[in-house]
Amino acid sequence: MTEPRDERQVRSLRELPQAIEPQRDLWPGIEARISALPAAAPQAPGAHPLPVRGGGARLRWLAAAAMLASVAVGVWIGRSLLPAGGPGAAAAPATSPPGFAALSGASALDAAYVSDPRYQRQHAQLLRSLPARLAALPPPARAKVMASLAALTKAKEDLESALGKDPGNALLQELLVDTYQDEMRVLSDVQASDAGRGI
Amino acid sequence: MNMRMACRLSMPLLLLCASAGAAAASEGTFERTVPAQPRGVVEISNVAGSIEVSGWDRQEVSVHAELEGSVERVDVSSDDGRTTIKVVLSHSGHHGEAKLHVQIPKDSELDVSAVSADIQVGGVLGVQRLNAVSGDVNAEIAAADVDAKTVSGELRLKGHGQAARLHLSSVSGDVRLEHGGGDLEAGTVSGTMVLSLDAARSVRTRSTSGDLHFNGKLARGATFDASSVSGDLNVRAGADGGYAYEVSTFSGDISDCFDAKPERSGKYMPGSTLQGTRGEGAGHVHLKTMSGDIQLCDRP
Repeated sequence: MTEPRDERQVRSLRELPQAIEPQRDLWPGIEARISALPAAAPQAPGAHPLPVRGGGARLRWLAAAAMLASVAVGVWIGRSLLPAGGPGAAAAPATSPPGFAALSGASALDAAYVSDPRYQRQHAQLLRSLPARLAALPPPARAKVMASLAALTKAKEDLESALGKDPGNALLQELLVDTYQDEMRVLSDVQASDAGRGI
Repeated sequence: MNMRMACRLSMPLLLLCASAGAAAASEGTFERTVPAQPRGVVEISNVAGSIEVSGWDRQEVSVHAELEGSVERVDVSSDDGRTTIKVVLSHSGHHGEAKLHVQIPKDSELDVSAVSADIQVGGVLGVQRLNAVSGDVNAEIAAADVDAKTVSGELRLKGHGQAARLHLSSVSGDVRLEHGGGDLEAGTVSGTMVLSLDAARSVRTRSTSGDLHFNGKLARGATFDASSVSGDLNVRAGADGGYAYEVSTFSGDISDCFDAKPERSGKYMPGSTLQGTRGEGAGHVHLKTMSGDIQLCDRP
């Protein structure tokens, strides 16, 4: 059983017909009406008669070309601009952490969490002040904290990589959100660890 | 001319004497005792050195400090049930340290902040909030809430099985709890957690790469929730009334001491789960990791 014509998916321009013939031949009726025109409206002196048959063919080609162009533009929009997961899927934000954009199957939960403007603002602010805070720590403590931050980064990368293989995995999604929260907690604790105040 | 020369030579000498005098003033011991309320709040802050706090039956706070380096002074104030002890370093540098020995009414609420100073607390029955950056925290806990936090220092707490709300967190330091009870929430990024509870009502732990070793008993109907990304979870938990368990991992291994067999999460997907019930199933145990291994046993 063949699919209805308008539901068939077009994968290549070559799949489109070069010309589309109308379902019934409209020309005899049109020709009769054009032939009747000079009688109804006498041509002005010096005017040339329209090349009726040739002009109709050009119009048909123009219509077919316009339709072809419309379909081509539609295919390009569908493939290039809409997210891979469909129109409802959220695109990864431009400011998301490295590697997050590669998470093609990011769930709505992840996307919503990381793209929250408040989260992004606070995260960026904490990252800006991190080098100064780390420099203020005693060297052994600094080394340990940096190792922990590296562990968090690796955990996020590992989770994102695993989610790339199994995008719908609720366990991984939950652990990823937990890891983002833990990273914020660590950054906040380091931020609050200025000398003389503790955390 | 000679007079001018003598002045020129004597000025550095005078400055040297003055600075030596200031240094001498910043070193030595400090003693102070102030009256306090039996259930008041005691706040202590010290950058480096140590802080040792013990509870006693008197209604006063006693401070003894041994000062070294550029410690400017120790401020002690008591007002409206709140006693504050603060070690102030001089502006010239942060290389001073103080060893504080503080005795407080045993039912006081205690709030300690340190940077690289170690904290030790014993005999305090009130609420404790203990924060250190790189210093270690050692505390004896009672039936009151405890909130202990470090960045790279270790947390070591010892209780007597009394129910309390315990909130413990570190970034890279290890977390150790002996004979805790009540409700526990513990988290670390890369530290190891070794936890033992005598009668836990709820336990919630989270780690990134650090391992968890839990050994203890859950109260009837208790909940136990532990998760880790790459750290291993080793849980030996008995419970009055048993518990329903749900264990899942994406790429780690699951094992148990009661011969239950884990199942694959899906035919074509990685991951395995283990579900079932021990005893009456009154409590709930949830364990999950991404790549860490999980061991569950229903016997401490």
